[in-house]
Amino acid sequence: MQKTRLIKTLFLLAVCASSCEDYVEVDVPDHKMVREVVFNNDETALSAMKGIYNELFRSSFSSGNVNSVTALAGLSAHEIGNLSATNLTAMEFEANQILPNNPSNHSLWSGAYNMVYMANAVLEGTTASDQLSEGVRDQLEGEAKFIRAFAYLYLVNLYGEVPLLLTTDYRTNAVPSRDTVGEVYDQIISDLNDAVALLDTDYREGERTHVNRYVAMALLARTTLYTEKWEQAENWAGQLIDGTSDHELLADLDQVFLKNSREAIWQISPIGRGNIFTNTNDGNLFISAFPSFYLAKNLADSFEDGDKRALHWVGFNEGRNEYHPFKYKDGSSTNNITEYTMVLRLAEQYLIRAEARAMQGNLTGAIDDLDRIRQRAGLPLLAETDPAISRNAFLDILMEERKKELFTEWGHRWFDLKRTGRASDVLGTNNPLWQDTDVLFPVPEEERLKNPNLGQNQGQ
Amino acid sequence: MAAQVQAISGTVTDALGPIPGVHILIKGQHSGTFSDQDGRYQLTAAPSDTLVFTYLGHKTVELPVGSHTQINVQLKEDVTALQEVEVNAGYYTVKERERTGNISKVTAEEIELQPIVSPLEALQGRMAGVEIVPSGDLPGMAATIRIRGQNSLREEGNFPLYILNGVPINSAPIETGSNLSNSGIDPLNTLNLNNIESIEVLKDADATAIYGSRGANGVILITTKKGTVQKTEIEARAYSGMSTVPNRLHLLNTEQYLQIRRKAFENDGTEPTERNAYDLLVWDQDRYTDWQETFLGGTSTITDLNISASGGNATTRYRLGGSYHGQGTVYPGDSKYHKITGSLYLDHTSENKKFNLNLSVNYGVDVNHLTGSIFVTSDVFNMPPNAPPVFNGDGSLHWEGWAEAGRTNPFEGYLNSSKIAAHNFITNLGLSYRLSNKISFKTNLGYNYFNSGELSKLPKRSYNPANWDVLDHRSDHLDVYRNSWIIEPQLMYGTKLGKGTLDVLFGATVQQSENGQSGLTGTGYVSESLIGNLGAAELLENASSQNVAYRYSALFARMGFNWDRQYFINLTGRRDGSSRFGPGNRFANFGAIGGAWIFSEASFIKTGLPFLSFGKFRGSYGTTGNDQIGDYGYLDAYEATVAPEGLYPTQLSNPDYSWEVNKKLEAAVELGFLKDRIMFGASWYRNRSSNQLVGYPLPGTTGFASIQANLPATVENSGWELECSTLNFRSKDLRWETSLNISFPKNELISYPDIDQSSYANTYKVGHPLNIALLYRYDGTDPETGLYTIADVNGDGRFDYEDRVEIQDRGRQYFGGLNNAVSYKKISLQFLWQFVKQDGRMALFDAGALGIQRAVTVRALEEDSGFQRISRSVSALLAYNNVLNSTFPYTDASFLRLKTVSLGYHLPTEVLQTIGMRSCKLFITGQNLLTITGYEGMDPEMPNGTGTVFGGLRTISCGVQLNF
Repeated sequence: MQKTRLIKTLFLLAVCASSCEDYVEVDVPDHKMVREVVFNNDETALSAMKGIYNELFRSSFSSGNVNSVTALAGLSAHEIGNLSATNLTAMEFEANQILPNNPSNHSLWSGAYNMVYMANAVLEGTTASDQLSEGVRDQLEGEAKFIRAFAYLYLVNLYGEVPLLLTTDYRTNAVPSRDTVGEVYDQIISDLNDAVALLDTDYREGERTHVNRYVAMALLARTTLYTEKWEQAENWAGQLIDGTSDHELLADLDQVFLKNSREAIWQISPIGRGNIFTNTNDGNLFISAFPSFYLAKNLADSFEDGDKRALHWVGFNEGRNEYHPFKYKDGSSTNNITEYTMVLRLAEQYLIRAEARAMQGNLTGAIDDLDRIRQRAGLPLLAETDPAISRNAFLDILMEERKKELFTEWGHRWFDLKRTGRASDVLGTNNPLWQDTDVLFPVPEEERLKNPNLGQNQGQ
Repeated sequence: MAAQVQAISGTVTDALGPIPGVHILIKGQHSGTFSDQDGRYQLTAAPSDTLVFTYLGHKTVELPVGSHTQINVQLKEDVTALQEVEVNAGYYTVKERERTGNISKVTAEEIELQPIVSPLEALQGRMAGVEIVPSGDLPGMAATIRIRGQNSLREEGNFPLYILNGVPINSAPIETGSNLSNSGIDPLNTLNLNNIESIEVLKDADATAIYGSRGANGVILITTKKGTVQKTEIEARAYSGMSTVPNRLHLLNTEQYLQIRRKAFENDGTEPTERNAYDLLVWDQDRYTDWQETFLGGTSTITDLNISASGGNATTRYRLGGSYHGQGTVYPGDSKYHKITGSLYLDHTSENKKFNLNLSVNYGVDVNHLTGSIFVTSDVFNMPPNAPPVFNGDGSLHWEGWAEAGRTNPFEGYLNSSKIAAHNFITNLGLSYRLSNKISFKTNLGYNYFNSGELSKLPKRSYNPANWDVLDHRSDHLDVYRNSWIIEPQLMYGTKLGKGTLDVLFGATVQQSENGQSGLTGTGYVSESLIGNLGAAELLENASSQNVAYRYSALFARMGFNWDRQYFINLTGRRDGSSRFGPGNRFANFGAIGGAWIFSEASFIKTGLPFLSFGKFRGSYGTTGNDQIGDYGYLDAYEATVAPEGLYPTQLSNPDYSWEVNKKLEAAVELGFLKDRIMFGASWYRNRSSNQLVGYPLPGTTGFASIQANLPATVENSGWELECSTLNFRSKDLRWETSLNISFPKNELISYPDIDQSSYANTYKVGHPLNIALLYRYDGTDPETGLYTIADVNGDGRFDYEDRVEIQDRGRQYFGGLNNAVSYKKISLQFLWQFVKQDGRMALFDAGALGIQRAVTVRALEEDSGFQRISRSVSALLAYNNVLNSTFPYTDASFLRLKTVSLGYHLPTEVLQTIGMRSCKLFITGQNLLTITGYEGMDPEMPNGTGTVFGGLRTISCGVQLNF
């Protein structure tokens, strides 16, 4: 009797155990979506791309915030100065003495690679799925390739040789060594060419935050300029200037940085922040009640008399007795979004073509392009004041013009000084600690600690 | 049918006089009573019953009731009876004497009077091998607890398993957005310390293997009080006390500070500007504020009330309890912690004694009001002494003086407040049925519902008026719930085989948990008084929500066999399945073997070593696991971006990770001398944790910071634990006992193939502990520049991790506690010393920086001070940054601390009885009264940061306990 009861009980327990295999299976929770499912239909796949646009505003590298390219390269190029006496990480950039363990530098690097990952994830998801419509597939592939190229263009210019990663597989991405600058550029150009081929010319939903064919062309223009492929640079910039009527130089400088402004080629929306603040981070950095940075006095002083940019894009804070960038007018707000962070705009394309033409000996064309910028700034035209200018003199003026036009936008000045070999002359004069190799930010030590194959560059 | 029940009374004595606290039980039943201060007792029993008198250190006496109404007993001291105490091993109990595993126990008397929030804090210093480090000083913060060291490379993978009356409690700290967010909230806060009967800590394989996959980090069993008495008894206890911050840092005064600051500019040959030297140019040069006094100088009060009633009859007994605990913080503002608990215990046995039902219900509510939404201490130790006021006279924040310096008040946000209200309901129903003398069946049904609601109010006036035009009144809401049920049917079989006894247990576990949290921000309230009412918010945003399911199932078995109560063997095993792992990796087996030999029973020992009253060898070996890792890590998944319409990948996925396996080996000896007046125990253990389950840190090139994965690494925790207790003196009036525990832990990464090719290459070193810092070698100050220098070990002209060759152990070399209990007549005194041997780090020596520094930095004004030349140049900043990561700031941080003192006095019984009171005890307790250390930081218990954080407060409380 006892034995049978015992056996029965044991049997019950055994049944329980055998059903356990199913028992410990749990459903996917309602806040997650498995990747295959995301790319199973057009709508959620497009959301994955939208997610990248949203996250661009939160990723430190592209946010326009204290650890963004705009801030850190701006400090390094002495466009802006650090207002906090206790912000040591910013001081290292300002002094061009960045320690490898600088947390801002690490944040910058990781932010860019996070974007690379997201772009690779979209590319892999799109490739693996057979449920997407043809149009959406092309669009996603083009946009994702653009994002990848965009992140790499900054990585290669900030750090020199960097690992070139084209998959989401962490096993390979965890231990890469650095690829040569040439290899990285080849990939950037190949991705951008693909994007040009895959993308349409209109802005999805009418928002200039979405990447289209012209956005890819604009970045190609910059990439080919940086790699001194003058003819191509002239051609790509020309596509933006002459090939479309979507973009124009705005006469009113106060309108340039507004959302979806007609000068904008590509912008990032503060909607990505996901809360009530509707201003750009760039605006907040420079013109909030407690800004982080000021505009370098020698930059503010360098504007010629009557330069409209000094009037409209440079402000002065009486209390602090400092200049500040004033391209963005909204430093903190909770109303409707009025401004987007500018990434690519038409003025840069004129400057690219001017430089590319000059380098190919077409000074007339170059002056013509540069004068478009000078004219808008209300300055005398070079075609009238000095039409027979030498190429080198022209290039000097062009560099000054780039400085005054593009200041505090995505580190233009820093990259210009670096690529034209002027960094040591400009930045080294008043800095006894300056070394020629300081044009590269060091590969973050955190990265090298975790990846034994990752070498250091000369920027340390 | 039931026999006539009669009242029985009597006195229990031993050779020295009456003994209080003797347990008098009716044989075969759970009901009984305890003798009072004068050894007297009363109960009711039937003439057929037998009374069992048990008292620690004495032979148990059994007397049939018969026709007696007065039964006086004299107990004899017994050498072995001290070891007859039953120890809870989770699914079964063992006698202290006969246990094969390593189980430490603290009982109610040792912990119940302590003015603390979480029961875990009460274990500090009381157990060998158990290391508890507070996370800070705010009530409710989760402490770090490590049983026999860090097994897992993941910080969050080292929590022990908490079991309350058979119900597993999720040991991960509760998420919060408040000031407690660094540590999280201790899930045991809502328990009533006074309602705890005992806490057992299971350490070795023999004891923990039956918990299988969750036993790797040890198991903490908490048992609540049960009614044990027959007649109705009421106990009331109240105490109140005051707490203060026990320590201060020695900091520069205004004169010294400004002198150093000026010197920096003088040395650099630069002119101070209003931007980099507002403390010199803008602020009052004569102003001095002791910011420590402003923020840490307060006193907080503690109030604790407890009442319980228990009683029953021969078949049923109950205990009802309720408590209130309230305490404040030392900080300005009205932070306040309240806790209300209620508990019920019910036990019923059928008349044929075959069926038993027991129910325990514990319900606790705590409400934690916290002021501010900033970590005060990081700013307190950064404020120049001549900084303008932080608060105005009316308690509002002061802005003007700060605005002049172009700054905002660093305590911006201090007028925010948060309120965290948690409800915790834990219940367990045990049903057992004795099928025969040998077989019984039992089922435990447990349920736990935890819910915490958090509301943070962020009024505009808490922020700088300069931003008011864009600021709104705001509220942050966070709700967390944890909901779990468990069913554990068990079958027990026990039999005698000749001189042997066999006990077999076979059981199964089915558990399901759901955890979730949801958050929301409300903005745009028209008035501060409406903050928090979401209906009044103009805009709701930042909504987040997640719900996580966890399922777990297991089969387990235990077989215990002993021969002649001299040789013992114990086998345990468990097969576990957990939903935290990907398909194909969900199940694993764990098991252990333990054995013991009580060699003092052998005749050659008895005759050869007569002074040895007890001797036991004990050993065990087995495996346990660890599934403490985030749920769903095997899913390659997207989540919604905080902004609308977007999806983004939030983690890397790995479908292949599996259990972490922990192999534990232990050998121990336990000895008793002089009739067990001296007891000594030594355990040696070696735990090897392999297949390490980690959030494997990845370089940013992967897009993420980590991934869940198993590592080939093996971590070894080994060490010695010594425990010694002595009865130093015993007479009729005076009794003095001492117990000492000391642990020598050793943590080592013993193998990690290809560590050089892993992301841990520069974090861990094979052959060294996990908790290390890799440091630059300090090389003195440069005679030319006067700046700190560190060694460029590889001579490549730059400083990076390749030069960080100095390995600093950040763990404890040894630690322990020394407890003394003295009683003289009606007075009792208990005091516990806690000691730790370790190194620590101390910052705040950046002489010349904007912000307060330690007083010793005044020496930097002199030559050869040991500090670098005072300077604010970039080179000096870099030198300081580097030296912080060198051997330079490390010093000895060992300490000896008088952790608790409690003094009690029992009022004479004669007086009390006239007013119907059984006993009345007055007591006074002190916590952290004294710390002896050479460490200059706030608290040597938290020595690895900058030296500015601290844990336990100094508390003195007094109270009264009444028994009716």
